[in-house]
Parts: sequence; structure tokens; C-alpha cells
Amino acid sequence: MAANIIDPITTGLAAGWQHIDANQLTENQHFEADVVIVGTGAGGGTAAEILAQAGLSVIMVEGGPLKSSSDFNMEERTAYPDLYQQAAAMKTSDKGIGIFQGRSVGGSTTVNWTTSIRTPDNALAFWEKEKSVTGLSTESLQPWFEKMEARLNISEWQFQPNLNNAALKEGCEKLGWEYTVIKRNVKGCWNTGYCGMGCPVNAKQSMLVTTIPSALEQGATLISNAKVIDLKHKGDKVEGLSAKAQSGSSSAATLTFSAKHYILSAGAIHTPTILMRAKTPDPHKLLGKTFLHPTLLSGSLFDKQIDGHSGAPQSIYSDEFVWRDGAAGEMGYKLEVPPIHPILIASKTIGYGRSHAELMTHFNNLQVMIALVRDGYSDQSPGGQVRLTDKGFALDYPLEQPFWDTARRAFATMAELQFAAGAKKVLPINDGIGMQLNWAQAKETIATMDIGLLKTIVASAHVMGGCAMGDDKTLSMINSEGQSHYFENLSVMDGSMFPTSLGANPQLSIYGIVARNATLLAERLTAKT
Amino acid sequence: MKRRTFLTGAFTGTAALALGVSLYTPEVNDNPDDTHRLLFSVLIPIFMDGALPEVANYRDAFLNRTIIAINQTISVLPEDQKQELTQLLTMLESRFGLLILTSSITPLVLRSPEQLNEMLEHWRHHFLEMMQTAYIGLRELIISSYYACPEHWGRLHYAKPTFLDA
Repeated sequence: MAANIIDPITTGLAAGWQHIDANQLTENQHFEADVVIVGTGAGGGTAAEILAQAGLSVIMVEGGPLKSSSDFNMEERTAYPDLYQQAAAMKTSDKGIGIFQGRSVGGSTTVNWTTSIRTPDNALAFWEKEKSVTGLSTESLQPWFEKMEARLNISEWQFQPNLNNAALKEGCEKLGWEYTVIKRNVKGCWNTGYCGMGCPVNAKQSMLVTTIPSALEQGATLISNAKVIDLKHKGDKVEGLSAKAQSGSSSAATLTFSAKHYILSAGAIHTPTILMRAKTPDPHKLLGKTFLHPTLLSGSLFDKQIDGHSGAPQSIYSDEFVWRDGAAGEMGYKLEVPPIHPILIASKTIGYGRSHAELMTHFNNLQVMIALVRDGYSDQSPGGQVRLTDKGFALDYPLEQPFWDTARRAFATMAELQFAAGAKKVLPINDGIGMQLNWAQAKETIATMDIGLLKTIVASAHVMGGCAMGDDKTLSMINSEGQSHYFENLSVMDGSMFPTSLGANPQLSIYGIVARNATLLAERLTAKT
Repeated sequence: MKRRTFLTGAFTGTAALALGVSLYTPEVNDNPDDTHRLLFSVLIPIFMDGALPEVANYRDAFLNRTIIAINQTISVLPEDQKQELTQLLTMLESRFGLLILTSSITPLVLRSPEQLNEMLEHWRHHFLEMMQTAYIGLRELIISSYYACPEHWGRLHYAKPTFLDA
């Protein structure tokens, strides 16, 4: 680590922040607070700051480790096991979709690509009409988005997009398609392109360097490496939580928690998993209904260097195809680009041996487009289902024909866009397909190519749903303020609250809605005391 | 039992999108764990053909590095994925397992590169998803581990920024 980069976490710990690494505990321990928050990602971090500011005692319990800029060495081989769920190797049960989700303090905000988009109007309107969500309109949420945008320095990226993003912009301009300059949660960004491995210069305004330090400054306690394994409940009350240190040793400590109020912010897989394991009421079988924005990839080669590893990973997106047929209509897809780093690209392309080696030789000339499919809005895209297993959980997410039809359209869109932007060759990331030399050839190939499970690379970095909000108990697990329908002292504040996918990158939606709901909760709790 | 478990779908080929976690740390081991060493010394040249250097000494060094990285990749995988992968590797090292997976008991080390390519292509395009996942699991494990090593980035002309070293 360069000497001139101050690590705010090591500095804060030295100054006396209350942090306990559960792996260092030599005996079981009990903790009490006004509020215990499980998880420290976009939801948990936001809630922690607001509740601590309201004068409530707060404990944040995180299953992953506390890692900070001193640990972020800009290498995938370090970042994936340290900062991602299952070392970034998580997949749906049929191995059809690879899932990237954060697991260290700060959750996915520590490793996301900083794209900050308000909840789309279409999503909010759909939730109100079809999912019984109330009080969450574009207008009512505006002050909460403004608050969090100010808090996290979210603003439009002022620099030139890198050439990977510029290709998306240029393609859209040529074809007359909509595109938008992305707003990013950064302050003093060095434009290096390593957001996905943890920001080494603390420019990304993740929970790790903003709300969590703020909560700690106000006396909150952070417990890392403690995975919540049980939630005790009786009647309409949660009575306590148990967590296990993650050292893996037989002497790993058990931690127990009592609080006036409990908040689950463990993410859209682990929040429902905790509730399922605790056998909490779920009379309408709604827990664990999950949405992923299943994402297709299209590579292309330019006759100039793209250097997709360098510069802000995402600075342009296109919503040209997301809502074309209305929210409940044909599945749509959002167009973005990913950062291009060796493991990510080598593993998410196809083939092996000489053909793969040849592709990797052109690494710096490679431009990659992604299409994120909006799921959960109709019977065509019911999403997935988290279920418990002996060792943990599995996520079943069958990819059915409507998805593959959409994928085929998305591949064609991406190829057309890439050729319009000046690509010399396009490679749909679908097994058995070679380089396409022009749009006409690509169009014909994509129309007839063998597409499907395991043949087509599908990825996800947006896990949503699993504990949906709404006022109708037959459709939801929590109300529109995040309060459990079944326990008066339990709230859910993370991506699991969404009744469908968003059609947009989720972090700002979580920040804004949780800021609102945590503020309302703080008012209720402080009024009681 | 292994065959039964495998065929009933417990094995799903790992997703091993990974990393050779701590190759830069003092944990670097120049005498890598010999677990599945022979198997990988046969498979890596097939998966990484065209990427591995031709010069014998360099080639051996790259091969060794990749085997270390693979073992470290496996070590950080969740337990169930580790078990699935170990099951596959063990089958590829046993005559009975080879018979099930490849219809031949000839050890992989005695097969020609053409035969090994043919085996992988057979799995890759197999009608059983189970066989496809075997291919994908090995592919992602080996290719990800290979490109986890900065020593192997020369052909990519990729390097991380150096300001952290300042």
C-alpha cells in the first residue's frame, strides 16, 4: 500500500472504534443493543448510520471479514476469496448462472462498479399496481434519493468514458438509441478501473468508508466474521439471534444477541435463508423468490486498444430495450459494459486451447457488452427460488424458453451495437459460435445458433427479492416500510425487499428506500423510549 | 457409491471462478501439493495450449505455477463445491471412473493430446448436462487458475497499476 493513501478503517480502529473479529473470540459471548443489524451492505450500512444518529445503540453483525484499502491489492486472486460470496464461484443449482455477490464488511458495495441509478418509474408503478406496495412513488422517494446521493457523493461521471464504455455510447449514437451517462458514488476517483476488487484509494463511497465509519464514530459496534445461524422467535416477537464465528475450527465461538429491534440486511439470498432456517411463518410460500437480472455477454475486437481494465468500469448505459413493451410485456434488457480483467474474462468466455489463447492475445483490443435481462414482471420470468440444503442453501433458477428468446434478441442487439461502434469482429459468448465478421453474418448466426443452459454463459451481479414488500400478505413478507408482517420487532432492509427485479443496478434503490424506512423506524423506536 | 452420487446429480462440476489466492505471500510453496499433480500436468497443456510457452523450462515453470494456483483455488471453494470437484478429479484418476466418464480405462497420462481433446469435446457437446458440467468445471478451474497468476499475463499485455508500490 502506498504510504500516502490513508486507510480510514485502520485509522478508525486505532482511534477506538468498537470492532470485534468473531474469529478471535476464545469463548462464547452475548451482546445486547437497541438494534441488531445483520449484514453491512447497502441496506445494513445505511440503516446503521441512521439509527446510530438517532441515538440508538446499534450492533452490526457481518458474516464476512473486515477488509479495507490496505488489503485491496487490485488482484482478482485476492479479491474473489476475500470479498465475494463463495470466492466468486457461486452458481445457481443447475450451474446455469454464475453469481457475484459481496461478502466482506460493506457487502456488495465494497466490490460493485459504482453505478448508481434511481429506482425506475416503471418498477415503482408496477409494484404499486401489482404488488401492493404503497408510499413508494417517484415523487415520494425523491427526497430520499437526494439525501443518499448527497451522502455518497453520487453524481454524473464527468470524465470521458473509457473506450469500453465509449463503444456503447458510439454504437447508440450511430443507431439512434437512447444512452445515459452513469452517476457514480465516488469522491476523488483515480479512474483506475479496479472497483470490483475493492477501491484501493477509498474513492468509492461504499458503506465501508461512509456510513459504517459514521455509525462506529457514534458508538455502534461492528462484529465481523460472525454468520447468523438462528433467529429465535415466539408469537409475534423475535427473541434473539445466534451467530457462529467463521474460523472453521471446532472451538469457533457462538455469539448471541438480544435487542429491542432486529434488522435483516444480509442480502437477497441470506436474509430469506435465515428466516427459512428459523422456520418463521410463510403461509403463502413467498420467502426466497429471487430475481437476478440474468446477464448475457458479447465480446468484440477492435483494431485499436480498448484497455477495458482501465478507467471507470461503467460510465454509460442504454435503456433502449428495457421497457419497450411495458413493464408486464416482453422481457427487456439493459445494456452496459463490464470491466475487463484476466480471470473474469478468461472464465466468462468460451472454449479452451488455441482458440481461447488466441482470444486472450487480443485482450487489450477486446470490448465487451452485457445485456441484463429484467426478470420478475410476468409469468414469462418468474425468477428463482432459494431453498435450504444440509450444508446451507441452493438457488434454483430455471432458465425457460422466454428467457432464451430474449437472450437471442439481446445477442443480436449487442452485435449490432458493437459493429456500429466500429468493431471488426463480434463474438457472442455462446458455445460453438466463432467470430462474426459483420452485422449481416452475426444476425444470421444468432438467429439460428444453438442457445441454452450451459452452452450460453449467463452471469448475475444483482441478487434481488426473496422477502418482498407490500401491504397484501398474500404477496409480501414485509410491509412497504420494511416491517415484518409477522414480527413486530423485525425489519428487512436490503435487496430482498424488492418484489421484482429493478431493471437497473440496485444499490441506489436500496440506499434510498432503506434511508426512508430506517428513518421511520428510528422515529418509532425513539418515540417508544 | 461414487458413481451413484455422480449420476444422481450431486456432482455438478464446480464453478471455480477463481484465484490462486496467496501466491504473493510467504505461503508460496515451491514444492506444490502433489494432490492430483499428475492429472493436472496432463490436462493443463490441453486447456492452455497456445498460452503455455513452448520453451521447455518456461513451460515447466508455468505448469508448476498453475498447479499451485489450482490447489489454492480448490482450497478456497465452499465445501460442497470442493467435494464435487474432488469427486470428479478422483474419478479421472481411477480406472473405474475413467470408464464411466470416457468409456475407456486407459489412464489419461497415456492418452495423446488428440485423444484428450476428443474427450473434452465429447463432454462439451454431450447430451447429458452432467457431462457438460464436468467439462465446464475443469475448464473454469484450470483457465481461471492459470490467469490468476501475474506471471502468466505477459501475452495479454496486462499489468495492474503500480501506484501501490510507490
